[in-house]
Amino acid sequence: MRILTKTSLYYLLVSVIVFLLGGLSFYKILQTEIYDEVDDQLFTDKENIIEYIRKHNELPSVTSGISEAIIVKETGAHPGALEALSDTLIFSTYDEEYVPFRKLTFTTYQYGKPFEYTILKSLMDFEDLFESTMLAMAWIFVLLLVGLAGVNYFINKYNWRNFYDTLERAKRYSLTDRKPLLLKPTDTQEFQELNEVLQAMTSKIHSDYLNLKEFTENASHEIQTPLAIVSNKLELFMQSDNLNMQQATMLEEMHASINRLSRLNRSLILLTRIENREFSENEVIPLHELLQEQLDQLHEMMLMHHIRVEIEAMQPVFVEMNIGLCEILISNLLLNAIRHNSEGGIIRISLKADELCIRNSGEPATDEPVTLFERFRSGNKLSGSLGIGLALVSKISELYRLTPSYTYEEGLHVLRLKFPKKN
Amino acid sequence: MKLLIIEDEKALNASMVTYLQQGGYTCDTALTYHEGSRLLADQHYTCVLIDLTLPGGNGLDLVRLLKKNNPDTGIIIISAKNALDDKITGLELGADDYLTKPFHLSELNARLRSVIRRRNFNGQKVIRIGSLEVFPESAEAHVKGQKLTLTKKEYDLLLYFVTNKNRVLTKDSIAEHLWGDHIESLDSLDFVYTHIKNLRRKLVEAGGEDPITTVYGMGYKFSF
Repeated sequence: MRILTKTSLYYLLVSVIVFLLGGLSFYKILQTEIYDEVDDQLFTDKENIIEYIRKHNELPSVTSGISEAIIVKETGAHPGALEALSDTLIFSTYDEEYVPFRKLTFTTYQYGKPFEYTILKSLMDFEDLFESTMLAMAWIFVLLLVGLAGVNYFINKYNWRNFYDTLERAKRYSLTDRKPLLLKPTDTQEFQELNEVLQAMTSKIHSDYLNLKEFTENASHEIQTPLAIVSNKLELFMQSDNLNMQQATMLEEMHASINRLSRLNRSLILLTRIENREFSENEVIPLHELLQEQLDQLHEMMLMHHIRVEIEAMQPVFVEMNIGLCEILISNLLLNAIRHNSEGGIIRISLKADELCIRNSGEPATDEPVTLFERFRSGNKLSGSLGIGLALVSKISELYRLTPSYTYEEGLHVLRLKFPKKN
Repeated sequence: MKLLIIEDEKALNASMVTYLQQGGYTCDTALTYHEGSRLLADQHYTCVLIDLTLPGGNGLDLVRLLKKNNPDTGIIIISAKNALDDKITGLELGADDYLTKPFHLSELNARLRSVIRRRNFNGQKVIRIGSLEVFPESAEAHVKGQKLTLTKKEYDLLLYFVTNKNRVLTKDSIAEHLWGDHIESLDSLDFVYTHIKNLRRKLVEAGGEDPITTVYGMGYKFSF
């Protein structure tokens, strides 16, 4: 959830709670005040009525106080024993509904006999007042809420814009680009600090990265010459006439290891050079022709393993790439399909305008599909593979924005290469 | 045939000299750019092997110099840098071949032979070894005057053997020679075995003797 949504939501939640509590206490206070007022008036009426009765020995006219009705009935109870306040509902034939009343019941003597008086006061007016007050309050609440939330949202948005800008730039930042991370200066202290920290961090990482890269490059290049010396001396050594079986075997093993090391080193240099974007000369390549060429070149290997090739589709596809890299890409994909195939297996190839799909039979891979594109991964340790083929595929794909993917479907390894959409 | 090897790494230079001298070449060596340019000015060579990173200058300049003064000298560039640009520049300047370190001496020898063959139009058009004749121009081989039906790979293999006769060729170097970088892939050694088996069979069937011997586990040798 975005921080703006989040703060707005919290803000709304707190506002709703505050307004609800406020509204509730307002309601309670108002109600208590009204009851106090009404009760006071009822008691005043009572005093007046008793006073009137004592003076005139008869009931006062109903309209003399605020009371809207007086009910009088004889009672056997002791005077003064009964004095009670309560709420009641009385059906009004005029309004055809129940109307709330507050009533005060008390007893007093008239003509020497105890009578029970009940005086009633309609709460209708107060209720109306109450309702309109609450309504007004509710409106104020809603408007205030919307207004405040809106203001809050825009202020936050304005304040956070620098943050989002920084975030966007950090997202787009790539170590392999040679450009440093440039961030807009801001007057918000925290964001400025964040920017400074980010810039310091990325420039440190960048320089570390460059150092490491330089080291790898230098190491790889510097290794080539000693490797050449060892390899060539071994080759000369092998020409000696008086070698015995044991020595010959040792020489052969050394030579094979040196060879493996050389090839590994060469592949690593190639990977580094792709990462350095040293292959900048692109040309439009007929992929279908190149694919056919590579298939012909590998024909022998496939024959040897009794692997059948089925071409499901071979549409003319043209890509703009470096020819060398394109060859490496295709040959590695095909080699991969041969290497991880089973004896007498099958390779199905489909080249369409939007993707190249190579399917091959073979044992299911033990590794997670995503890791297959990493260096030094190979599904099995057979066949002396360096496990660098798919890493090359992945690096070249990255360079030309192709999307490689791997799945295992119906007993076939499926390697797909999606071509970027043409604009 | 006289060669000049311009390579600053002494040990590497010495290996090349030893291997090539055994093949009947006369070799001069230079360890620096200036030594190289001086020798090139004084002498005439059939072919020159040039390392690109030399103390005192860039090997590419020697290529330029050579092209200007002695255009008929063959040039093979040897470099630790597998840089495509250098390779292209080198070949554009007129170098005949480009080898990346590390390389097999037998491969260097084969490339050298091929360069000399291509440049030397008046020279030997057929390589004769006993009853075997190899015609590099038409990519054919005859045994006792009878043409052998060889596949492209078998012919390449035979030529590689003939070029490096009496040398032990490792399976790796054969595989690399025949398939280039593809050998990284799989049981290339089984391939080598199959091809050698077929080549031997064809040579014997044509009435020749079997000149290829297996040298322990190390590799094969075309002896004559």
